[in-house]
Amino acid sequence: MAGRVGNRHGALIVPTAPVWLRWTWLLPAAFLGVFLVYPVIVLAVTVADSGAEGMLGRLTEPAIWQVTGLAVVQALASTAVALVVGLPLANVASRYRFRGRALTQAMVTVPFVLPTVVVALAIRSLFGSGAPQGFWIVVLAHAYVNLAVVARIVGAQWAQHSGDYESVARTLGATRWRAFVDVTLPSLRSAIATSAAVVFVFSFTSLGIVLLLGDPMTRTLESQILRQTSVLLDFPGAAVTAVIQLVIVTLVLLLGAMAARRAPTRRGKPVALRPLPAAFIGRFAVIATAVAGLAIVLAPVVALVVASLRGSRGWTVGWWSSLGSIDAGTTRLGSPGAAIGISLTYAVVTAIIAAIIGTLAAMAVLTTGRSRILVILAIVPLGVSAATLGLGTLLAFGRPPVDLRATGLLIPLAHSLVAIPLVVAVVAPGLRSTDARLAAVAATLGARPSRAFWTAYGPVLRIVVVASAALAGAVSLGEFGAAAFLGRATSPTVPVQIVRLLSRPGEQSLGVAAVLAVVLVVITLVVVLLVDRWGAPARRTTRQEAIA
Amino acid sequence: MTEPRLDVQGLALGYEGTVFLAGIDLQLATGEIVAILGPSGSGKSTLLAELAGVLPVPQGRIIVDGRDVTRAPIHERGVGLIFQEPLLFPHLDVAANIAYGLRRHGWSRREADARTQELLDWLGLAGYGFRRTDELSGGQAQRVALARAIAPGPAVLGLDEPFSALDTELRQRLVVEVARMLREAGIAALHVTHDAQEAHAIADRVIELSSLGHAP
Repeated sequence: MAGRVGNRHGALIVPTAPVWLRWTWLLPAAFLGVFLVYPVIVLAVTVADSGAEGMLGRLTEPAIWQVTGLAVVQALASTAVALVVGLPLANVASRYRFRGRALTQAMVTVPFVLPTVVVALAIRSLFGSGAPQGFWIVVLAHAYVNLAVVARIVGAQWAQHSGDYESVARTLGATRWRAFVDVTLPSLRSAIATSAAVVFVFSFTSLGIVLLLGDPMTRTLESQILRQTSVLLDFPGAAVTAVIQLVIVTLVLLLGAMAARRAPTRRGKPVALRPLPAAFIGRFAVIATAVAGLAIVLAPVVALVVASLRGSRGWTVGWWSSLGSIDAGTTRLGSPGAAIGISLTYAVVTAIIAAIIGTLAAMAVLTTGRSRILVILAIVPLGVSAATLGLGTLLAFGRPPVDLRATGLLIPLAHSLVAIPLVVAVVAPGLRSTDARLAAVAATLGARPSRAFWTAYGPVLRIVVVASAALAGAVSLGEFGAAAFLGRATSPTVPVQIVRLLSRPGEQSLGVAAVLAVVLVVITLVVVLLVDRWGAPARRTTRQEAIA
Repeated sequence: MTEPRLDVQGLALGYEGTVFLAGIDLQLATGEIVAILGPSGSGKSTLLAELAGVLPVPQGRIIVDGRDVTRAPIHERGVGLIFQEPLLFPHLDVAANIAYGLRRHGWSRREADARTQELLDWLGLAGYGFRRTDELSGGQAQRVALARAIAPGPAVLGLDEPFSALDTELRQRLVVEVARMLREAGIAALHVTHDAQEAHAIADRVIELSSLGHAP
């Protein structure tokens, strides 16, 4: 095992760094300071204002702990179901060679990129009008979304598995099951821990799915916060709830990181895909798992499309043709078409803000060693949850003295906070994959520092910045939590409109909601496909350049 | 010769449905070490994989201590394997790695611990039991892998170029050491390598793989 040489790109070392590169942290730091740190401080002050007694009073209320307990149980159940279904899929889709493998892997990712409100509606369409509201359908929806998390994270680790360790265990007398438990599972532990933590946090902080599929017993702290702010108008109470949620989420993420760290790391080389098992039963099991995975992923989406084309009197395109005007007694709602316009506008603004801030943050992270704080700041929104962000933003900028609500900027700002971590996650590896010596070569050929930087990093930057902007736009399109807090009644985004439609009776509401959901599905999938197409060759060429 | 420990009859070597060498007959007596020589890609590893049951056997029979194990599952064949890399379980310490096979063969924890200590002493690795596997040098790791494979007392041990990742000096020392260990343990060993010098240093008999069988 000795003598393994790894080429680890650490910091982005630019031998001839232009001066401005040292100041890229300024703008992201200012942005995150104003729109993330300040609202959180306001949130904290609001909590403190209710006084020590008031806070203690709230913390000793049994109701809040009952909600917390149920949310924990729900999130644990969701995680368990996602693991049980996701692990076989991870095994099959990332290790065996068969026709349709790439398709299976791509399709499993679909639920994860769909807006949660759309997933909720799709699951509801699948089970029909008599759908059982409550705990189990919420768990099912959460597991559905997170199949990709388990299949991708665990699959990536499993794919590096040659099977030699299992063979060793088998030759030492372990049964097939024993070898799986003793050798395979421990080697997957870090991936399982990581994905379990992610799934737990997602399910624990879920809002759209819980609102649409839950019952009064199945709530999350997130839905509790929304209720406290919009129905009960209890802002200090909501702030306390947000803090409890933040603490639990942080704890779980830390636990996940610790479990992942303590697991032995075995950085293997990628192993070739293996052929299907020779025995009929093994072959059948692999194919059946893949087919079942595809069916699970596709069924709700198909049901959603059907729901958008069906009324009580059979097939109809009526819901689609009422996109422009749904005025029959529903004037309060505004037209679905207008909602699409508003959502697209917000998406574009979010894409621009998030791409600029996120790219600068990624550069800063890679060039300066002391940008830890920036990394943490950029990652925090992932754990803070959209409703908390929305609440903080509302408290900070949604009421006098600073009221930005009329400007229409609040939602894109909140969405940018959600999207920035994604942008950093896309841009940073792109920058890192570029060989820094290219800049040195350019400099030796007479390029000034800035020119040398663009010569080396320009090609990859152009691609990853556009790709990450598109992703940020897609996030904005589907985001529900922050939009629900910050939106004005007259101009809802599409996900908010869907939830409003579903809260009203009548098959027209359901039909039009399904139409809007299908529109979101199409836009989201097109964006993700384009990014995937676009990003893939970029990654390949940069790697080739690095080798050459 | 009494009953051979390993008796291979008419074995074919194949991978994913294609047979590339057929009709292999081979007998190994107790404590005998046979080296199989062949260039890379000639199917030496396939031979060991089929013996151990890691790959399915296309044709022929494999008999270990008089028992036909051709279709037996890997863990019931009595065939151990040593790979080019030690492949020590990274989540277990050195002692737990060696004890693994003993525990799978029904040894109690205490018996397994005692036997593991003996093996560690024998290897000159006393006191290394609680070490993490990534703290071992290449030679130490390969010796632990050997102890782990020998511990449960397999009838046959396949060695797949186990020394090729080590430097020359260490390799020569280890070859002698391993040969001694295998003979003491009475295990029939099949050592595949492309290195003729190493083959002659360790084995009682050296056979070219291509001379063992014929084209299908």
